[in-house]
Amino acid sequence: MIVGGCDLGSTTGKAVVIIDDKIILGNIVMATPKPAVTAKMAMDEAIQNAGLSSVKNLDYIISTGYGRLKVEFANENISEISCHAKGAFYVNPSVRTIIDIGGQDCKAISLNERGATLGFEMNERCAAGTGRFFQVMAKVLGCGLEGIGSSANISATPANISNQCSVFAESEIITLVNNDIPMSDIITGINRAVASRVSSLARRAGVADNVVITGGCHGNDGLVTALELSLGVKINKLSVDPQFMGALGAAVFAMEKFKAKAGNV
Amino acid sequence: MIAKNRSQVLEKFSGIAGTLVNQSVEEFKNKGGMVIGYFCSFIPEEIFIAAGLLAFRMRGTGSESTERADEYFTSNNCSFPRHCFSLALIGKYNFLDGLVVGASCDTTRYVYDNWKKSPMKTPFVYLLGFPHVSGEMQAGYYRKELVNFKSALEEHFNVTITDDKLCEAISLCNETRELQRKIYDMRKSDNPPITGSEMVSVMVAGLSMPKEEYNAELKQLISDLEIIPAQNNEYQARLMVVGSCGDDDIMCTIAEEQGAIVVTDHTCFGGKLKYGSVNEDGSDPLQALANYHVLTRPFCAKVGGAYPLRRKVIIEAAREFKVDGVLGQRLGCCDTWGGELYALKDDLRDAGLPSLMIEREYVPDSQGQLATRVQAFIETIRR
Repeated sequence: MIVGGCDLGSTTGKAVVIIDDKIILGNIVMATPKPAVTAKMAMDEAIQNAGLSSVKNLDYIISTGYGRLKVEFANENISEISCHAKGAFYVNPSVRTIIDIGGQDCKAISLNERGATLGFEMNERCAAGTGRFFQVMAKVLGCGLEGIGSSANISATPANISNQCSVFAESEIITLVNNDIPMSDIITGINRAVASRVSSLARRAGVADNVVITGGCHGNDGLVTALELSLGVKINKLSVDPQFMGALGAAVFAMEKFKAKAGNV
Repeated sequence: MIAKNRSQVLEKFSGIAGTLVNQSVEEFKNKGGMVIGYFCSFIPEEIFIAAGLLAFRMRGTGSESTERADEYFTSNNCSFPRHCFSLALIGKYNFLDGLVVGASCDTTRYVYDNWKKSPMKTPFVYLLGFPHVSGEMQAGYYRKELVNFKSALEEHFNVTITDDKLCEAISLCNETRELQRKIYDMRKSDNPPITGSEMVSVMVAGLSMPKEEYNAELKQLISDLEIIPAQNNEYQARLMVVGSCGDDDIMCTIAEEQGAIVVTDHTCFGGKLKYGSVNEDGSDPLQALANYHVLTRPFCAKVGGAYPLRRKVIIEAAREFKVDGVLGQRLGCCDTWGGELYALKDDLRDAGLPSLMIEREYVPDSQGQLATRVQAFIETIRR
């Protein structure tokens, strides 16, 4: 049985192939203006890593993410909320809270002991608390996303970023820069501002041990530290690249659906 | 959108709900009739009908921007009245011979203030008071408001609104409610013969055409639905839509595109309207109308003290229609529904009903996010 999952996010495309029980990740591809093209590029990476020759080798494919309806080779689509939950629970069945911080949105999902979604919350029409917020701030500071995420930039005296709107926060940061506030204080302040926003979202969905982060912002050490501080819980690492969790969840759904269909024949 | 092999009535209703100056309005005007616009469902249509006027429920159909209204309103006013007002400023409501604004939420009430301030020349503009508490004393107050309102209509339009005419209108509108209930009841079946999106058109059309004509069409629709097979037997979940506004089918369409079917609702343009009947004993028709809106059906979320009744009606409907989940919608900056849905979410959960509460704008600015959330909700509750 060979199945696939393709997650077409706002910023990147990711795909996963599962051959029997073996998980093969593709490589992250930057989103193009044409979602169908991004999907093919992402899937080709996973197919190549799996040593396959064509998407036709796959028995069942599920798409997810914002471009999920544009994945021409998918058999069906499932929302990224369900897919992130499915993927994280598949990797670690003790996961109860998933915080997915992607390029243009942020979601918190709570699960029960069977992996069923108990509730979820999602940001609305606003870049605050998303990867886009970090991109804007990194540009203002000229430090790149690596600088924002670096553990070397975690400060014990963070600057207070009161505004969570990316447009107004940008002006606030320019003021801080002009007041010679150290870069690490500003960066920690930015991470704390995002963590504060994400934490309230997570609390609305329900926070229970064990908490994990998925999505592109998982590698931001400063954000993870700020979230742990804000939520008062330890955030655990997943053993599979968390940015692929949506695609993995889609592939796991594909596996279940294919097995169910095969069983019905 | 109306699928193939559907009742012709649905096509007609869809056309009426999708336009402002529809064929029925045009015909009414061509015969010399006067059309009066009104905001809010607690304003009794019966009084307009008894005055020989065509009541037209104000809506934002076709509006793309609040640009013109934003000269008068601020961005923390909810977008529904702003879209309606924008349409008026660009001349889309020039067909109105009058406008009645109900004192419900503040933003709706501002329409009255701003309409008077604007260059619009609508000959009759009236602000009708409405109590924000449900009780006998308040029903008495509302009757007084209706007495004054009736006099104002009589004076301006040079008509006499007799008790007999009011009783006839009450009877006509009770018939409408009964016919609408019949269609809603058909949706309780495992294979509802009409989708949620189609039902929005049915209800909205009834607020933009003469009632006699509407009732005749409803009767035809009921017979059609009895013989036309259901369209969507493989739905993943049965949903109820609760919330503000509701003159459009956006939430129903998003949910139904994601594989669910909307089987009932509790919205100001929908299911709330069909509730109960106005007393027809004829002794005091204005008091009967006041009692209906203040005591029997205090469904405006602005009415304090009546939340327990609204909650009961919503939960009972959810059970009767066998819904798997409730979609709550409120327009951005609507404090009234913000409070109502906040309380309702917990009460629905305690009643074993999952819910998803959505904040949207009248013209949605992020349909992708909306669809993702609704799809994820359906995935968590599906059968």
